[in-house]
Amino acid sequence: MKAESRKVLGALLRKQFCESAASFAKGNFNVVGFAVRTLLIVALIAIFVVFFGDFADVYLAVTTDGEPAPLTRAFELMTMVYAAIMALTVIGAMTALERELFSSEDVRIFSALPIGANTIFAAKAIVIYARQTLVCTVCVLTANITVAAHASVEWYFWLVTALSCPLLPMLSVGIASVLALPIHALKVLLKDRFAATFVLITLVTAALLFAYAYLLRLVSSMLLGEDLRYFFNDAVMAKIAAVVAWLHPADLFAALLTGKDVLSSALVIAAVLVVCFALSLIFIKLILTRALKAQVSSGGVRHLTARAQRRALSPLAALIKKEFLLIFRTPDYMFSYFSVALVVPLLVYFCMSISSALVVRLIGISCDLELALFLSLLFGSLANVFCTTNISRDGMMFYSVKVMPLGYRSVVFSKVLLCLVVAVLSQLLTAILLCAAGGLDVLHALFVFAVASAFSFSQICFATRIDFDHAKFSSQPDGEIKEQSNTAALVVVVGMLTAFAVGGAVLASRMALSLRGLAQEYGFLTYLIGGALAVVAAAGGWIFLVFRLKERYYRFEGGVL
Amino acid sequence: MSDEIVKVDRLFKKYGKRAEWAVEDVSFDVKAGEIVGLLGHNGAGKSTTLRCLEGMLPFDRGNISICGRDIVRDPIGAKSQMGFVTDDHAVFVKMTGVQYLDFICDVYKVPVGVRKERYRELESVFALGDSVRDLIASYSHGMRQKICMMGSLVHRPKLWVLDEPMTGLDPRTMRAVRELMTDYAKSGNGILFSSHALDTVAKLCDRVVLIRKGKQVSDLNVREIAASDPDFDFEEYYLSNES
Repeated sequence: MKAESRKVLGALLRKQFCESAASFAKGNFNVVGFAVRTLLIVALIAIFVVFFGDFADVYLAVTTDGEPAPLTRAFELMTMVYAAIMALTVIGAMTALERELFSSEDVRIFSALPIGANTIFAAKAIVIYARQTLVCTVCVLTANITVAAHASVEWYFWLVTALSCPLLPMLSVGIASVLALPIHALKVLLKDRFAATFVLITLVTAALLFAYAYLLRLVSSMLLGEDLRYFFNDAVMAKIAAVVAWLHPADLFAALLTGKDVLSSALVIAAVLVVCFALSLIFIKLILTRALKAQVSSGGVRHLTARAQRRALSPLAALIKKEFLLIFRTPDYMFSYFSVALVVPLLVYFCMSISSALVVRLIGISCDLELALFLSLLFGSLANVFCTTNISRDGMMFYSVKVMPLGYRSVVFSKVLLCLVVAVLSQLLTAILLCAAGGLDVLHALFVFAVASAFSFSQICFATRIDFDHAKFSSQPDGEIKEQSNTAALVVVVGMLTAFAVGGAVLASRMALSLRGLAQEYGFLTYLIGGALAVVAAAGGWIFLVFRLKERYYRFEGGVL
Repeated sequence: MSDEIVKVDRLFKKYGKRAEWAVEDVSFDVKAGEIVGLLGHNGAGKSTTLRCLEGMLPFDRGNISICGRDIVRDPIGAKSQMGFVTDDHAVFVKMTGVQYLDFICDVYKVPVGVRKERYRELESVFALGDSVRDLIASYSHGMRQKICMMGSLVHRPKLWVLDEPMTGLDPRTMRAVRELMTDYAKSGNGILFSSHALDTVAKLCDRVVLIRKGKQVSDLNVREIAASDPDFDFEEYYLSNES
C-alpha cells in the first residue's frame, strides 16, 4: 500500500475510533447502562462456564466400544465449540459488513472524496475484524479455559488458543465478505416488499424455533431419561463423529488443540486463510463497486398501492397507525415486534413441558401453575425489549409530532398501547397453549395471563419512560435504530430479575407448603403473592410513566437536536 | 388586536447549562395578511425562535401566542392554528406521501370529504405526481421538502411557519411557492419564515425581523421603506446590520 493510501487509511480509522469513543465521552456515557450490560455478559459467561463445565466432564468420559477415548472426545468437543464460535462470528461479520458497506451514510460521503475503494474497505474491515477479535477472544478463552479445567491439556493447547483468537476472525471476515453480496441482493429483492419480508422473517423464526424445540427435546430426553452418560451410546456417538467430520475448518483448529495431525492441519488452515483473503479481495471489489453505486443512486422505486383513506381516524388511532407502519416497514423492528412475541408462547410451552416433569421427578410435587407463571414472566420480559426504543424510534419526527396539536398523553400512550397489544396477545396465546396442551386448567391459565399481562404493562411503562428521559435518536438517514441501547440492557436485566423474584417467590412458597403437607390449605398463597405483586407492578409502572410526564414532554429537548 | 396571528413577547431561550442566551429578548408579531421574514447569520437564533414558537422547544422567559392562544398554557389550541415546515424536513419515511397527508389530516381533524380536493389543489402547486404513492424513504431532498409543505398546508392553518423553505426546491416550484405564499397571506393568513435568500425575502416580505447573536436588531417594514425610498438596497442594509 502506498504511503498516501496509508495516511488516508489512518485518517479513516481515526474517524471511526472517534465515532466509537463518542459514546464514552463525558455527558454521553451512561454508567448505569454500561454496568448493567457488563453484568449481563459476565452473568451469561458464568452460566455458560458452569453448565458447559459439567457437560465437558460427562462428555470427555464417554466411551465408544467400551473404551474411553478422551482425546477423540476432546477433538469432537472442541470442533463443535469452534464451529459454534465461527458461526457466531461469520453472522456478526456478515451483518456488519453488509451494514457498513451498503447502509452506512459515510460510504456515500467517501464516494465523493478522493479515497480508493480498497482503502475504504480496509478501514471498514479492520474495524469489523477488531470487533470480531474481541468477541472471538471472549468466546474462545471462556470455552477453552473451561475445557482445560476439566481435562488435561498440553502446552500447545494454550498456544493454539492464543493463535485462534486473531485467526478465527480472519476466516470469519473472509467468509462473511463472500456471503455479504448474496445477502445484500436478497435485501434489495425484498426492499419495499413488506408482506414478503414478514413471511420470510416468520419462516426463519419458525425454522429457528424448530431447531430450538429439537434441542429442548434432546435436553428433555437427557434430563428425564437415563443418566447423561448413557445417552451418548455408540449410535449417538457415531452420528456426532459424522457431523464433526463435516465441520470444516473448525475441525482443523480442534486438531491443532488436541495435537492431532498438527502439520497438515496447520498447512490447511494457512491455505484456507490465503483462499479467504483472495476471495474476499475479489468479492470486495464487486461489493464496493455495487455499494458505491447503490449509495450514490437512489435505486429503483417500487410503487405501492396505498390510496387516500376512506374514513377519518382519531388522532390516537392515527398515531397508532403511524407506529404500526413504521414497525411493519422496518424488517428489524418487524422481527423484534411480531416474531419474538409470537415465539414467546412456544418457548413457554416447550420449557414448561420439560421443567414440569423435571420438578415432579426431583421433588415429587407438581408446581405447574407457579412454573407457568415464572416462565411467562421470564419470556414475556424478553419479548418486551422492543418497547425500550418507544421514543428513540421516532428520531427527529418526535419533534415534528410535538409541534402538532396532540396532547402528550396521545403521543406517549399510543406507543404504550401498541406494545401492550402485542404483549397481551402473546400472553393470551401462551395461556391458551398452556391450557390446551400444557396441563393448566382454565382458571389457572387466566390467572397466569392476567399476572403476566400486568407485568408486561409495567415493563412497557418503565421502558417507555426511561427511553423518554434518555432518548437517543438515530443518525441513520432512515432514522432506524441499529444499536442496542443501554435502556434495553437495563430493562432486560430488571425484567429477568423480576421474573426470578416473583416466580421464585411463588415456587418457593408452593414447594415449602407442599413439603409440609399444607399445599391444599394454603394454595391461595400463589394467587395472593402473584396477584398482589402484579397489581403493585402495574400501578408502579403507570405512576413511573406519568409522573411529571406533562412537564417533561413540553420541556423535552432530548435526542440529537 | 383581533388580526394579530402571532405575538412573541420578550422571548429568552438558553440551551442546557450554557451561559449565553441562544435567543435574548426577541419580540415581534405577525398580523393577518402579513408575510414576515426572520433573518440572521448562521447560528443567530432564527431556527431556535421558530422552534420555540412552534412549541417544539421550551423557552426560559417570555410569552408566545398564536391566534390569541398561549403556546405554553394552551399548546394544543395554539398548535392547531399552525402549519410548519422544519429546516431538516423531518417526515415519516416509512409512509407513502398519501399516507403522510392522511396522517396530518387525521391529527388536524380535516374531514374526509374535503381531503381529495385539498390534495388536488396542493398537487397543482407541488407536482409530486405519482410519487405521492411511493414511500417517502425513496424521495429526493426536494421531494421531501414538497411533501412537508403539502402536509403543512393541508389543514389550512391561520399561520404558516417555514424554516428555510426554498432550500432544495427546483426553480419552477420555488416560483410556485412564492406565489402560493403571497396568495395565502392575501386570504387573511399570516406567514413567518426564515431564509438566507435575500431576493426572496425582499420580494415577499412585508416586514423583516433581523436577529444577530440571539438578539433582535430590528423589526423593519420593508414595504413602507421601499415605497418611501426607491434607492433602498435591502441587501446592503442586511449586510451592514447582520454582523
